[in-house]
Amino acid sequence: MINIIRGTLYFVTLCLIQVLVLNNIHFLRLATPLLYVYFIIKLPVGYSPVQTLFLSFLMGIMIDILSNTPGMHVAACTLVGFIRPKMIRLFKRENLPDNIAPSFSSFSYGSFVRFAITLVAIHHLSLFLIESLALFDILYFSIRFIAGVLTTIILIIIVETFHKTPKRGGD
Amino acid sequence: MRKLLDFLISKVHWFLFALLEAIAFMLVYRNNAYQQSVMFSTANVISANVVSVGGMIGSYLNLREKNRDLVERNGQLEIEVLKLQRQLEIIMADTLTFRAYSNSSTKSFPYDIEIAKVVNNSVSYLSNYITIDKGRLDNIERDMGVISEHGVVGIVSTVAEHFSVIIPILNPKFRLSCKVLGSGYFGSMSWDGKNTQYAKLDELPRHVDFKVGDTIVTSAYSAIFPEGIMMGVVSSFEKQHDDNFYSLKVKLSTDFTNLNMVMVIKNNHKNEQQSVEKDSKGND
Repeated sequence: MINIIRGTLYFVTLCLIQVLVLNNIHFLRLATPLLYVYFIIKLPVGYSPVQTLFLSFLMGIMIDILSNTPGMHVAACTLVGFIRPKMIRLFKRENLPDNIAPSFSSFSYGSFVRFAITLVAIHHLSLFLIESLALFDILYFSIRFIAGVLTTIILIIIVETFHKTPKRGGD
Repeated sequence: MRKLLDFLISKVHWFLFALLEAIAFMLVYRNNAYQQSVMFSTANVISANVVSVGGMIGSYLNLREKNRDLVERNGQLEIEVLKLQRQLEIIMADTLTFRAYSNSSTKSFPYDIEIAKVVNNSVSYLSNYITIDKGRLDNIERDMGVISEHGVVGIVSTVAEHFSVIIPILNPKFRLSCKVLGSGYFGSMSWDGKNTQYAKLDELPRHVDFKVGDTIVTSAYSAIFPEGIMMGVVSSFEKQHDDNFYSLKVKLSTDFTNLNMVMVIKNNHKNEQQSVEKDSKGND
């Protein structure tokens, strides 16, 4: 139950932050952080592949409708949702309870960051590839890809760090 | 049979994945066709209201700059009014020429404008869109031109009741015939997807005389914009591969990262012009 409430909160906040704030940021006219991938990263470990896929799809379509890019974010998110269970198997060492979400404490620091980088890279790669169906320029593409992944990852790490502190104090 | 079913059930997420991706790509391709659906864009009421929250906050943050721009523009227009008044006085002195003048060239101006607020604007993608807060109820239609106080912005592509979506210059689907101010030769303006400040003007014949810093304006060949609306200035140029045309890099006069108010241009003669053009094509 608490997972559903937390999930809905994440969904709405991340959607709004992405559309109202982050979509207006173009760092050096190159990179726009796509923090909403954090929602897919933070889904509980125990969710079935079907659940993960469906929720990622939902997130993608929400962002698409709100930022006038039909199809692009959906395709990228669905791919990430599909790959996520496999990545969890790869990065998680011991067995975790099903309702735990990936974080610095449940994964280790290193493997959480690697896990996040993998998912964000897959997301950005597919997103920019689909986008360049209209125009393709390999140099510009790679610069944008690297810049996008970097800004998104930095933001995710910042959010995750802030996320951790109240838990330690509160619980 | 049972084994097959078990196998299928265990792999059900593969099928779901394929289905969802198929939906996604259908959306991508349908969007690539010029016509966009109202449901999957910021023109639909719910999402437009969400994004307009951002637009509202943004428009407050820019008030100081906007104010300065408006004062400047106001000054320019005042000077223009004074100039025209003087001309009018000179012409009025000789009633005969005034008659001739007013009959031929001051016939009704076929363009009308509607002022709209930008509620959502993207510049970070390859295909960018702008949402404005005027729609079908304000007599906005598809293919109307949109300008800002600095120059051309784009063309209306999707219209809902209260909102519409504009395809700006910063979108590969945007093409517009433009010319170097003062010459009659025209080329086609498009965006190369890299810098939001620059676009390129292709297919300009090689014998056209121009230099860096010249002004590029809209030509009279499209029924969308009136002739002579500011587009930008030439910042550099090169010969195209086939060597008969120039390709110009144009610094756009509109700053797309900072758009607040735009004007939608309604051309009352557009249908007439287009139907005539269509007829003549049919006669070929």
